[in-house]
Amino acid sequence: MLSFYRPGDGWLHRMPSGPKAFLLFAFVLGVSLLPSAWWAAAATATATALVYLLAGVGGWRELSHQILIVRWPIAITVASQLLFLGPEQAVANTVRVVAAIVLAALLVLTTRVSALLDMIERGLRPMERLGLDSQRAALLLTVTLTTIPVLARLAGDVRDAQRARGGRSSLRSFTVPFLVVALKHADELGDALTARGIR
Amino acid sequence: MSIHLEAVSVRLGEADVLRDVSLNLAARTVAVIGENGSGKSTFARLIGGLVVRTTGELSVLGLDPTRRAAELRRRIALVFSNPDAQIVMPTVAEDVAFSLRADRLRSVEVRERVSAALDRFGLTALADRPSHDLSGGQKQLLALCGAFVRRPELVIADEPTAYLDARNARRVADHLFEDTGHRLVLVTHDLVLAERCEVAVLFTAGRVAAVGEPTAILAEYEAILRC
Ligand SMILES: Nc1ncnc2c1ncn2[C@@H]1O[C@H](COP(=O)(O)OP(=O)(O)OP(=O)(O)O)[C@@H](O)[C@H]1O
Ligand SMILES: [Mg+2]
Repeated sequence: MLSFYRPGDGWLHRMPSGPKAFLLFAFVLGVSLLPSAWWAAAATATATALVYLLAGVGGWRELSHQILIVRWPIAITVASQLLFLGPEQAVANTVRVVAAIVLAALLVLTTRVSALLDMIERGLRPMERLGLDSQRAALLLTVTLTTIPVLARLAGDVRDAQRARGGRSSLRSFTVPFLVVALKHADELGDALTARGIR
Repeated sequence: MSIHLEAVSVRLGEADVLRDVSLNLAARTVAVIGENGSGKSTFARLIGGLVVRTTGELSVLGLDPTRRAAELRRRIALVFSNPDAQIVMPTVAEDVAFSLRADRLRSVEVRERVSAALDRFGLTALADRPSHDLSGGQKQLLALCGAFVRRPELVIADEPTAYLDARNARRVADHLFEDTGHRLVLVTHDLVLAERCEVAVLFTAGRVAAVGEPTAILAEYEAILRC
């Protein structure tokens, strides 16, 4: 499921989504402007950990969980930077990137998708002068997010059905039936959206 | 008159899916029955404003679904068979609230209506659960909850119990039939459910074969099935 929201009532949870996004963005920006030095890495790591501990999202557990999610990209960047830039820069850069990712994750962890949807809608409103329908754009984003797990399940169903009939899965024998069920789902979802009052 | 059709035909691609349908439905609960492919879903989508007629005259709750689509949609709700395709938001409560988005209500009112609806459909304990992790029966109750939270005057349900076990089918049906001041058009292959309605409409090959008291219409349907 692509809802990363953790119910809770810490100060980050209670903060309105717009200011929260701005605050976290400012924090990420501040972190990325620090020089690539040992002290900067230490300061960044400490500050990020503090934010997690104080945010009421589950402290160390959540922080380590979020870091684990990006462990492979981290491993690759550390390795390549160690090779070309030396330990100080490698560590500082990596800490910076990881901090940016886990801080951004805080927004999603502490904000309900419906609040994010409202925020995106409001954020995109200035673009309406350029012909963008902000309500539609925000909805498209949300529906895309929530449809991914459904599509994953449909893909599983198609693969199971083929195995059950003793067929070997090839890309082609998978793609056609998957597209059919995916398009059918899109059709039904479109009807349901219309039926629920969305143009 | 809540639903009124006068010589309505619907052509989809090359197929005449509904032909020359004339109906006057004023009953509170209407069952729509007929064989696979007889045009039941197309009829449901037609009166729900999702399909446009090719010829004829049509009014639902006094409105023309083609010309007054937005207004009609605010007053009706549709429920389909596949619960997955009806769920939009990642958590149960958010999904119910989603139905009220277009109404631009105050957030206090949204919260009150959502929690009342969740309560009525027995979903309060699941409010913060990811909606796609629910069981099929719970998902369909959620779909129903999302439909009823809008306080529709007319609920159009296309085989809402098709994927459910007997217990959940019963629960869903009970909610649909509960008199909350709404009218119900229920497309179903479950003849027991059809019998619970005040009026039944039998479709065969895109035409209305019979309209009337459900037991009589069901007998007619059985006769058609036998030959
Ligand atoms: N978009 C479409 N284009 C062309 N033909 C269609 C389209 N949608 C439905 N049909 C055809 O119209 C006929 C009636 O379809 P409909 O879905 O209304 O039947 P139904 O009574 O709901 O059947 P079931 O009991 O299987 O749900 C079928 O023969 C179907 O193939
Ligand atoms: Mg059908």
